[in-house]
Amino acid sequence: MLSIKNLTANVEGKEILKGIDLDVQAGEVHAIMGPNGSGKSTLAHILSGRDGYEVTGGSIDFKGEDLLELATEERAHRGVFLAMQYPVELPGVNNMTFLRESLNAVRKARSEAEIDAVSFMKLVREKARQVKLDEKLLKRSVNAGFSGGEKKRNEILQMAVLEPTLAILDETDSGLDIDALRTVADGVNMLRSPDRSMLVVTHYQRLLEYIQPDHVHVLAGGRIIKSGGKELALELEERGYGWLLEEVAA
Amino acid sequence: MSGRTTNISDALMAAQGYVNSLPADNGLWLTEQRRAAIDKLFDLGLPQSRQEAWRYTDVQGLLEQGFITSDEAAEIPLDEVRQQLLKEPVAARLVFVDGLYQSELSETNAAGVHIDSLRGAMAKADQATLQAVGSLSGAGSHGFAALNLATMQDGAVIRVEAGSKLEQPIELLHLASRNATGRSLRPRHLIILEADAQASLVERYLALDEVSYFNNLVCEIVLEQGASLYHQRVQQESRQAYHLSDLHLGLAADSHYRGVNASLGGLWSRTNINNRFNAVGAVCELDGLYLVDDEQLADYHLDVDHAVPGCASRENFKGILNGRGRAVFDGRILVREQAQKSDAHLSNANLMLSRQAEIDTKPQLEILADNVQCSHGTTVGQLDSQALFYLRSRGLNEDQARRLLCMGFAQEILDRFETESLREALSESIHARIEASNSNSN
Repeated sequence: MLSIKNLTANVEGKEILKGIDLDVQAGEVHAIMGPNGSGKSTLAHILSGRDGYEVTGGSIDFKGEDLLELATEERAHRGVFLAMQYPVELPGVNNMTFLRESLNAVRKARSEAEIDAVSFMKLVREKARQVKLDEKLLKRSVNAGFSGGEKKRNEILQMAVLEPTLAILDETDSGLDIDALRTVADGVNMLRSPDRSMLVVTHYQRLLEYIQPDHVHVLAGGRIIKSGGKELALELEERGYGWLLEEVAA
Repeated sequence: MSGRTTNISDALMAAQGYVNSLPADNGLWLTEQRRAAIDKLFDLGLPQSRQEAWRYTDVQGLLEQGFITSDEAAEIPLDEVRQQLLKEPVAARLVFVDGLYQSELSETNAAGVHIDSLRGAMAKADQATLQAVGSLSGAGSHGFAALNLATMQDGAVIRVEAGSKLEQPIELLHLASRNATGRSLRPRHLIILEADAQASLVERYLALDEVSYFNNLVCEIVLEQGASLYHQRVQQESRQAYHLSDLHLGLAADSHYRGVNASLGGLWSRTNINNRFNAVGAVCELDGLYLVDDEQLADYHLDVDHAVPGCASRENFKGILNGRGRAVFDGRILVREQAQKSDAHLSNANLMLSRQAEIDTKPQLEILADNVQCSHGTTVGQLDSQALFYLRSRGLNEDQARRLLCMGFAQEILDRFETESLREALSESIHARIEASNSNSN
């Protein structure tokens, strides 16, 4: 589904990614771990098409297409979804309107009919229940005045409504207490399916207790320095990143 | 059209000629006030850009149009006018076409309220009511206002009886037709809410045809003790029109004025809102939204005078500027020395959608009392790139994302328009304008 080959990228002239190789098959959950500044978020942002990153080499193939050639919204139409570390507040933009316009934009791009208002209401209510997002928040402005947990749940709600094929969760656990983390993780787990892949970017192992990955990769200094199964995450939790960095340096 | 630039002597002669043409028996047509206004016009002259209050709002283009003072009526396209009426039921309705009252389209019989046209009141010599004309505005604080008083043509005269509470709004609709081309219209409204009266007013300036005219209007609103008025005001003139509106508010003890403004139309528009607190416990709330593009100018000048203690004022104005559009916001709040325990908050936010657009914003808080709560804030910004990315990452294209964010910016003020059909119509207009500007910039 996703195949990244020797990806290198700069931010403001500084090389951040120094050759990333990563293959994600349909239905797999991959965790990208690593110390701060290792390039995890850069990778997530490049996948979603955010400005400010200069790809200097390598390729990203997504379902047979060159992802780097596509605009941000076109990636969304193809099924790429980024759950943000810091979801943006949109005062005055109604959450429901935002969700409906997004869903219709995606459906339209896929030559599907727009969803009617009644069916949409039904759909959103059901999804909101699933991700345990208070229905009142649907009528408010997007993320405006939401708590940290509510913002993250709102991201998961968008994911549930848009049903992406590749979901990228960027530090979704940051700023959440354990209860909020659990709710968010439950929402994510509910969305696991054989035709949906996930890339879980996280600094800490604790999210991976709830979202069990098939593969764990450690990103450091712009490279994947180690890959393994979920036991690798546990080892990192116990021993930190230091030993691994030393091992690679040696 | 005269085909020449209007100068002060043209304006004085036109005013003089107009007053002389009126049936001036026993001063029923307020001849004395009119003559005083001509004197005032002579003193003030016409506004010039070297005056601070007119620095950013050039009147040269307006004067070059050489608009003429004439009240010649034409046939009214009744069906077209009817389509513009509010969809909601109203307590009463006054319709003006090209500045003149249209009785066949109006409904003035409502319990607890006396309604007449200014012409009607003058013809009936309703001195009791008409003595209030000019009570807040004086003979005019600038030349055009003096010109309005000197040559006032028609308007609404509304008096809500003491204690009367109107459930439905009074609609005041002003339409310009093709017949207004090249003319200067001079509506003048007088609205009085007696003690403890409650009313709501929807005042709109629309055009049936895209023609050029000058709408030079003055509205005086008197709220007596404990009275409360909710006032929705919309300026959607022809895109070739000039619109100058002076709103004067006089607030007695414990009265409450809540006004929400939208300025979308006109080539050149200016709104002066002057609020005077006359006694303690009064509240004045002003919200506003302006949208300019192409070569449009929208100007709001607010002047809130806390002359007495214990009053509250709040102003929140937002602007969307596109193309080569220009806007001016001048918000002045004066809290006089004796006006202790005043509460005054002023905010102006501007969203710039183009590099060619220009905003001149000037919040002025002049606080002479020491025990007050006051604040002001001004912002000028562009669409947030993070917000645009966020929306695009959810599948919206750039135009859709821009439109959604612009509507979001405007929503706070749109929500203040409580009359649903009005709010929806405004929302649709803004939506369409932003959509059109998106396709132009692509």
